[in-house]
Amino acid sequence: MSSCPPYAPFFGFGGVASAMVLSTVGAAFGTSKAGIGIAGLGTFKPELIMKSLIPVVMSGIIAVYGLVVAVLIVGGIQPGDYSLYAGFVHLGAGLACGCTGMAAGYAIGLVGDSCVRAYVYESKVFVTMVLILIFGEVLGLYGLIVALIMNSRAAEAPRCGTF
Amino acid sequence: MSEHVAVSKVNAQTAEHGGALGKLVAFSLTLAIAPISSYFISERYLWAGQSGDYSSEDLYVSNRIPGNSTYAAITAIVAANVVLVAYIIVSVRDDKQEPAPVAPAGELESKKTK
Repeated sequence: MSSCPPYAPFFGFGGVASAMVLSTVGAAFGTSKAGIGIAGLGTFKPELIMKSLIPVVMSGIIAVYGLVVAVLIVGGIQPGDYSLYAGFVHLGAGLACGCTGMAAGYAIGLVGDSCVRAYVYESKVFVTMVLILIFGEVLGLYGLIVALIMNSRAAEAPRCGTF
Repeated sequence: MSEHVAVSKVNAQTAEHGGALGKLVAFSLTLAIAPISSYFISERYLWAGQSGDYSSEDLYVSNRIPGNSTYAAITAIVAANVVLVAYIIVSVRDDKQEPAPVAPAGELESKKTK
């Protein structure tokens, strides 16, 4: 049982794919759910549309988190000298970023939808909305930080051919 | 008479929102391009590893030691959040300037209807 089996990159690329795919699922949910609320707001007060697009921009940032982690992990995978340890680390990093991105996108979508609908009637809801959205976004940021820390540990992997 | 009012209201709205569409397109492009380009540019130039001697044909050679990718990822995330904060500031300022263009158009209409 060597420390560098040929199927090790499977886990590494699984991490890359899960970082991108799962965070995009969260961002898509956030964009669409907030977009439904914005479409409802737009029929009553079109001048509020620029401010109410903030949840959509924040969902885009969640997808950017997944993109950056995917690009980061892919930079550390090489065909030859790649241990199973590094594969597992990369898989964990990708899953950490992806699943937290999904959670953050879900929160941003629901909060964005309700708050932009309430913003039609009460303009003080805007600051509250931005605060809640920032707290939701920070969930994705935590996953990104853990992914960065895990990925930096992958460089300590043993050289292939030694134990 | 009411058709003139409706047409002028639609013209005023498109004049206001034409600028808004341009801003939104600019922000979308910035959010798409800035983080990933800042990742690669900062990895190569800002957080560079030891590069040795660069002659012009060595720039794409495969044994270049890559720069610190964790710092490059942090740079990309900071760039993305800067775009977000800039969008929030622009949208709040855009809303505060909103009442000024509408008032003169309203006064012209009231003179006509008299």
